Amino acid sequence: MNGSNAVLVDLTQCVGCGSCTVACKLWNGKPYDKGAPATGLHPVADHSNWTTLTQRKAEKDGAPAWRFVKAQCMHCEEPACVSSCMSKAMRKTEQGPVVYRPDLCAGCRYCMMACPFEVPKYEWGKVIPSVSKCQMCSTRLAHGRSPACTDACPTGALRFGRRQELLGIAHDKLKTGRYVNKVYGEREAGGTSWLYISDIPFGQLGFKANVTSESLPAIAEHYMRKTPALLLGGAALFMGLSKLIQRKKAVAAAEEGKREQ
Amino acid sequence: MSKSFDAKEKTTIDRRNMLKALVGGCATASLTGCLVREQEPGAKGWVPQQYDAPSNWPPQVRGRVPIDPENPSIVRDDRKCVLCGQCIEVCKKIQTIYGSYALPVKDDFICIHCGQCTLWCPTGAIAEADDRTRVLQALKDPTKVVIVQTAPSTRVGLGEEFGMPAGSWVEGKQVAALRRLGFSRVFDTNFTADLTIMEEGSELIERLTGKSEAPLPQLTSCCPGWVKFVEYYYPEWMPNLSTAKSPQQMLGAVLKTYYAKKTGIDPRTIFSVSVMPCTAKKFESARPEFNAAGRYWKNDGLRDIDAVLTVRELALLMKEAGLDFASLPEESYDSLLGEGSGAALIFGSTGGVMEAAVRTAYHAVTGQKAPALAFDLAPVRGLSGVKEASLDVPGHGKVCVAVAHGLHNARTLLDRVKAGTARYDFIEVMSCPGGCIGGGGMPRSSVPPADDVRRSRIRSLQVKDAAGTLRESHENQEIKELYRSFLGRPLSHLSHELLHTDYVSRAKHLKVDPKALEEILAGQVTEASRP
Ligand code: SF4
Ligand code: SF4
Repeated sequence: MNGSNAVLVDLTQCVGCGSCTVACKLWNGKPYDKGAPATGLHPVADHSNWTTLTQRKAEKDGAPAWRFVKAQCMHCEEPACVSSCMSKAMRKTEQGPVVYRPDLCAGCRYCMMACPFEVPKYEWGKVIPSVSKCQMCSTRLAHGRSPACTDACPTGALRFGRRQELLGIAHDKLKTGRYVNKVYGEREAGGTSWLYISDIPFGQLGFKANVTSESLPAIAEHYMRKTPALLLGGAALFMGLSKLIQRKKAVAAAEEGKREQ
Repeated sequence: MSKSFDAKEKTTIDRRNMLKALVGGCATASLTGCLVREQEPGAKGWVPQQYDAPSNWPPQVRGRVPIDPENPSIVRDDRKCVLCGQCIEVCKKIQTIYGSYALPVKDDFICIHCGQCTLWCPTGAIAEADDRTRVLQALKDPTKVVIVQTAPSTRVGLGEEFGMPAGSWVEGKQVAALRRLGFSRVFDTNFTADLTIMEEGSELIERLTGKSEAPLPQLTSCCPGWVKFVEYYYPEWMPNLSTAKSPQQMLGAVLKTYYAKKTGIDPRTIFSVSVMPCTAKKFESARPEFNAAGRYWKNDGLRDIDAVLTVRELALLMKEAGLDFASLPEESYDSLLGEGSGAALIFGSTGGVMEAAVRTAYHAVTGQKAPALAFDLAPVRGLSGVKEASLDVPGHGKVCVAVAHGLHNARTLLDRVKAGTARYDFIEVMSCPGGCIGGGGMPRSSVPPADDVRRSRIRSLQVKDAAGTLRESHENQEIKELYRSFLGRPLSHLSHELLHTDYVSRAKHLKVDPKALEEILAGQVTEASRP
């Protein structure tokens, strides 16, 4: 899927303005919660904060060096969440985003366990909760726009484009010697649509170091082949559950509609 | 503002979806049964129009300035931010801060605390760090003597918050309001503006006559944003900065020493508040070295200024207390630190410090009253970005002065001097366009702030100066008394202890990007507000 869309994050270019987090909230209509900030030293990634920006007081050449790390769904090329989801609520689109459909979500939270980056979050506080995560603005992409966060970034720290092209740009930048020699996301979890480059080792900025470079679904398949019965049984169960929840949701939506009128 | 694209999707129905709906598959039918909605989470909101173009057209104006959550002067409420980019416009083009430093950042959110962004931000997302609660607590505390000072330009701004035209003169009502809010003494920062002129003027004369080693041109030091700007970008100019503190800090220092002694008030019980047109004054008051009274009394915890309120915060306090502005009487400042000259009053306007200094320095050098020209120093009045004047001082010769307001203009001026294409003896710089009357703590007017508002406020100050009889700092009787009974003379040892300061280079916190800066500076700024 190398022709698909991606974002290159150049961590050296971020000034910590947090525009990306605001753009995300504005576009997606996500509420703010004082107790769960999206930016700062200890932001909280949750169902309303699809993207966070963490201030890291790191060091470089013995001098303090602050960096700001934007985190959101990595939009894996071969997403573990998709293969773990038995009700087909998670899907990798051709354009690049890994999207989910709450109307299909059975609420099993397998994706949360499967995700190597701990991205999907659960709407714990809702009556009919569902899993929730960054959609990479799939509807904007479908209309030839870029993700809202990349549009709002004033410094060019977030660059939207074709994955292959961005990898080229990233590697050209690495050649300047001003970065650590790695494009995070090029191979992690079999490759992701969000790519990062940095001048400070990723480990020091809170990036997961031990993410396998093998595609996760491939690993999962290995196990799953051995348990076809369980798989089938599971699928049937989830389909049933999905239908049930579907109905509940429709009823709730209808009631909400009534209330609004 | 454009709505989310999925608004469209909500109401479309195509055959495929219809089919899906019919087989009861993945779509949820609405109550009417004819609208099909493929649920995609998110995309329920909107973004400003500039973000809605196809991705190969990146938005022209985008994003916002970074603000340190620990910034003592300004805060931002993300809920109100609409990413309009206006804060970047002013910070970059008028103040030349945003975008002037190379990336990656070092260990600072570069900010000089001028608060111009609070005036440009259309939603009020950026505002001053709110110190009202601390002041209210002190006012309620029976063990505290809460004393307030008001900066020159506050009296031509406050009225706007109560529906009066820009520049309305409300000095007496402001004093009355402060008394009704419970402040036990109301003093005037004009008093210490006169004191600043005595100290800074004497310093200038020492530099001019070679009595002091400090270099020329002397740079004014009363604007805390400008001072921090020099510390960031021009540390090699720090010896040029006058060592005189700002009027706010001078008042804080003499309040808890001279005034406390004279009246027998325990300085530890004094809570010293200032009402300022400025957000950077909050930062200034928190600079660790500003505890002159603490050093004087050997009590480190004693701060010269305990809290700074902007004019907007004062207006809110008044409104919350239910004060009826229209029916407030006109009252006068309390004595000992309450008298101010017309020269001090025009500190609030760009060029005002220069004009005030010329009046007193001329007198100090020649022993004569300055010529009429110095009482309407036209070349340094008005809103052009960089202004200059020269004056023949009998017994000394020609003195050349320059004035800049807004930091874009300040850079232009300093770079000229650096390049040797201009030579001055004394330079006045104010961070905010128009001077303090255009300060980041003044009432919000139009967005972006307009020159006609600035002109009205300036005119008001100049009219009052012209109409008064006390128009020279050295004629201020309370200043004379302060020197007679406490400080001795300008630049005395005690004056140095209480009224002068030094500076710290902040150059290590940023790396200037000369190319980016050049590009920013290529955008000409002549008038105050327009890039
Ligand atoms: S918008 Fe860009 S510069 Fe601002 S915080 Fe996000 S990535 Fe950093
Ligand atoms: S001016 Fe205010 S609303 Fe506009 S981007 Fe800046 S903070 Fe946000």
